Formats: sequence, C-alpha cells, structure tokens
Amino acid sequence: MTIMTSLRLSQRRIRGALTLPNGILALFVLAAITAPVLAPQNPYDMLQILGWEASSPPGTMSGNGYRYLLGTDGLGRDIASCILYGLRISLVVSVVSAAAAAAIGLTLGVVAAYFGRWVDAVIMRAVDLQLSLPTMLVALIAIVTLGPGVDRIILALIIVQWATYARVVRSVALSEAGKPYVDAVRTMPLSHGRIILRHLLPNSIAPAITLLPIEIGHAVALEATLSFLGLGVPMDQPSLGSTVANGFQYLLTGQYWISLFPGFALFALIAAINFAGEDIRRLWDPRSRSL
Amino acid sequence: MALFKVISGRLYQAFLLLVVMSLIGFVGIHSVGNPVYNIVNIETATPDDIRRATELLGLDQPLWRQYLVFVQNLATGSFGTSYIYHLPAFELVLSKLSATIELAAFAILIAAAAGTGLGLLAGTRPGTLVDRMVVIVTVYALSVPSFWLSMMLVLFGAVMTGWFPSGGRGSTVDLFGWEWSFLTADGLKHLVLPVLALAIPNIALIARLARAGTVEVQRADFVRFCLAKGLSDRHILFRHTLPNISLPIVTIVGLQFGGMLAFAMVVESIFAWPGVGKLLIDSIQLLDRPVVMATLTFVAITFVALNAIVDLLYAVLDPRVRISA
Repeated sequence: MTIMTSLRLSQRRIRGALTLPNGILALFVLAAITAPVLAPQNPYDMLQILGWEASSPPGTMSGNGYRYLLGTDGLGRDIASCILYGLRISLVVSVVSAAAAAAIGLTLGVVAAYFGRWVDAVIMRAVDLQLSLPTMLVALIAIVTLGPGVDRIILALIIVQWATYARVVRSVALSEAGKPYVDAVRTMPLSHGRIILRHLLPNSIAPAITLLPIEIGHAVALEATLSFLGLGVPMDQPSLGSTVANGFQYLLTGQYWISLFPGFALFALIAAINFAGEDIRRLWDPRSRSL
Repeated sequence: MALFKVISGRLYQAFLLLVVMSLIGFVGIHSVGNPVYNIVNIETATPDDIRRATELLGLDQPLWRQYLVFVQNLATGSFGTSYIYHLPAFELVLSKLSATIELAAFAILIAAAAGTGLGLLAGTRPGTLVDRMVVIVTVYALSVPSFWLSMMLVLFGAVMTGWFPSGGRGSTVDLFGWEWSFLTADGLKHLVLPVLALAIPNIALIARLARAGTVEVQRADFVRFCLAKGLSDRHILFRHTLPNISLPIVTIVGLQFGGMLAFAMVVESIFAWPGVGKLLIDSIQLLDRPVVMATLTFVAITFVALNAIVDLLYAVLDPRVRISA
C-alpha cells in the first residue's frame, strides 16, 4: 500500500465516520459523562426525591423548582434524570464488559492458535460448550450464580461474550501462525509471550475490532434485559433496563411515560451503536459491503 | 461410517455439555438464598420447623452429596419434586410446554415467511428505495430490546386501543393432552401480541440474511443463464434463487427457534403467558431448585437437538455438504 492510497483510505474512514447515528452516539456518550451536571435531580439520592410528586405526567412543575420534562416514576424520581444516570450504567457496563471480553477472547484465541494441540483443544472445547447454549441462558445462569450488582453483571457479560471473540480470532490467528514471518520470529531467541503479543496478536486483531461494536450493542440489550428481569443492577441504582421495568406495572393504568421514554433512549442507544458498528464493519471488512 | 462418526461425536459433545451445564447450574442455583424460607410460613415457623423442612429437602447435606442425589434421581428419570407446586418438576415443565411451543412456532413461521419475502423483495432490487428501506428498518428492528418491544405492543395494542388483550392465554382447547390457545378465537386474539413481539426481531434478521444471499445469487452465472433461456423472473426467483439462499435461512430459523425457547421468558413474563420461560423466571425468583434444573436441562437439550437437526438438514438441502462430510 502506497502512502497516497493509505491517506485516501484514512480520509474515507474519517468522512465515513461523520454520520447521523455516530453523532447521536457521541451525544449519548457526552450526556452520560455530564449526567450529574445535566440532570436536574440525582435519582440515587433519596433526599432530592419528593415522594408526593410520584407518577407526575411529563411537563409537571416540581416543588424543587424545575420541570419534570418526561414525568416522574412511581417513587417520584425524575424520568429524564433516571435516563441520564441510567445511560452511564448501561454504557459503562457494556463497554467495560465488551472490552474485557475482547481482550480475554483475543488472547485465548491467539494462544490456542499458536500453541495448538492440547492448549487449543482445551480452549476450543470451552468455546464450543459456551456457544452451544443460547446467550440469554448463559447470562441467566451466570447472573443467578454471581448475584446482583453492577460489578457482577459486568462479570456475567464477560462470561457470555469472550467465546465469540476467541473463536473468530483463532481462525484468523491459525492462518497467520502458518505464515513465514511467524516461522522467522520463532527461530529467533524470543519468548513465546513476546512472539504472541508483538507479532501474532497485532495481525489477528481485525475481526475482534469489527465484532466489538456489535457485542457492545448486545451487551447493552442483555444488561437491560437482565435488569428488567430483576436480576441485574439493584433497584437503588436504576439502569435504563430497570427503569423500564419499574414502569411496567404502571403501563396498564395508562402511565405510559415511565417505561416509554427510558425504553426509547435504550432503543436509540442500541440503534446508534449498531449503525456505528455497520460503518466500522464496512470500512474494515470489504467482503461484508454487500450486506 | 463417516456419518456415524459425526453423530457419535456430536452425541458425546452434547452429553459433555449437559454434564457441565448441570454442574454449573446446580452450583449456581444452590449458591443463592435459602428456599426453606419460601416454603415454611416465615411468621409462624419455629426454628424446629425450619430445621425439619431443611432436613426433609435434603438441604442439610453437603453440596456434593446433594449433586450426587440429583444425578441418582436423574438416572431414574426424575428431577425431583417442585418445592412450591409439589408436582414432579419435569412434568411441570412438560405441562407448560404447549404454551411456549405454540408461541415460538407461530413466531418463527411468520418470521420465516415475512423475512424471506422482504429479503427477496429487497435483494432483487439492490440500491433502490425499497432495498434501502429494508436495510435501514431491519437495523432498527434488531435494535429494539425485546422487553421494551413487548411493553410497547401492550401499550399500543392493548391499553390505548383495546384491540387485543394485554396478557394471558385466553380460552384453550385440549388436544393430545395439552392445552392449545390457537384453536379458539379468543386464544388467537391472545396470541397476536406476544407472537409479534417474538417475530419482529426475527423477521428483520431473516430479511437481512435473505437479502444478502439474494444479492449474491442474482449475480451468479446460472441466474444469467436462466434469463438467457427465457425463464420468467418469478420462475427464476422461486425455483432457482430461493433454494440457493435457503441454507443460511434454515440455520437461523433452527437456531432462533431454540433461542426463542430461552428468550421467550422475557416475552412470556410481560404477557403473563404461562410457558416454560415464565416458569423458569418464577422458579428462579422462588428458589424452586428442582424446577430450575429441569427447565435448564430441557432448554439445553432442545437447543442442542435443534442444532443437530439443522446440521442434518444441511446435508439434505445442499449436496455439496454431503460430499465433503
């Protein structure tokens, strides 16, 4: 690749990244970071919540001097603030778990491909076991075993996700490990760790990168679903999923706003991540362009 | 001979999977809470009552011995008795099966038909408005969390318009010893919303697959040959394109059907649909361990079996797979 073509490619990549969904995604991230400033209320702080203003419809004025733009939930928490704070949990949980799962899966995939034989067999059998069950079921078993809490749910999502990376990365690393440059570095007095980290891994990383955004989207949905089922984050730390879940009992009596708005934020977040993921895949993997 | 080797290898792997899963599931469900408190009346129970209940359920034994008892029972075909319903756990799961099956079967049938139709529609017209609409709308449909989709269906289909009931199975008819909703008008009405909730993401998934396949196949030489031969577009589409894109669709239909048995628990909880998924969620919350183990095992076996069936269907649908295997 000449310098010019690589320049043109990176230009295209930058221009390709400036799309509406990516803009929305950036806004979501910004909103999550600045939530304590943006949100009129801290929904985790019981002192700021006026219990008698529970279930107010959108637009009601609060006794605290601000407007409940999206209404309040059954406990009197401002929905808009719940969404902003919930975004933080959703994003932190999904990004941290996906990144950790990618790191673990990447390492195990490369290690399996490099050493082969029994190392490969052990790792890949574990991957097979994991992937032969529905994701939701694995997540459910994991979270029931680990118990509720933000750190537990991150762990559960790592357990669910690592295998996909390991399988994809291993297949690429296998073909890389057979190439002459790997034979060449193997003749040098380098440790296995160094060969894997400095030579094999950087050349096998591409599929993990295209997988990452898709898996982050999955993680957001999974976390929300587990929280919705009451198995995820605890009630006093509302995530988007548990806020939607809170609103379910009020839905049947027509108090739609409690689950409508947080659910819509969740949907928009996942959609933005998925569109961004499509862009990344298109740029990194020309074969999938027809998709 | 090769087929025999493949099948025995698969069976061995499936067996291993079930052993590992039962072990992890067993330890998992036994590490949370104490089911005795859900069984005795907590206000009137004396410490003596609690001790006796614990002994009766065998919960005073060490975990490894409890697991051995579980495996021993399993060898005689029993998952134990539900702590809550006082029925054999596996029978309980089977009794809920018809509800989940009719939900998943309707959803997957609708998804396969609508998804393939949309995929063919878009794939034969790449780059047109219809095509771009399908591509974009399917991304949105795949992004909707299923629980929120279900709740919005309740909100718009039941609460605001009153068109459909918001939950339950409605009236059922007994057939082959199982209750079925789809045989009564009232039951069908109850089916609409939960089936839609399960079908919509799958329509999108199948439509994307079908579209990608169609775009690829339409470029192939044999399609051009068919055109040159003077065959009609419709004939080419249904007799030549469709069989060639069916392989990934069959795969995803099989996998998604299995996944639905597991994922249906969200939809079933929201629509108060008394199926296997709702049973699993309720049992986890009530710490009804025998039922949890029975349900987990059942879903895992079904999923593995469906995977195997999909692999076999490959060989039927694609002669090339038969040769390479």
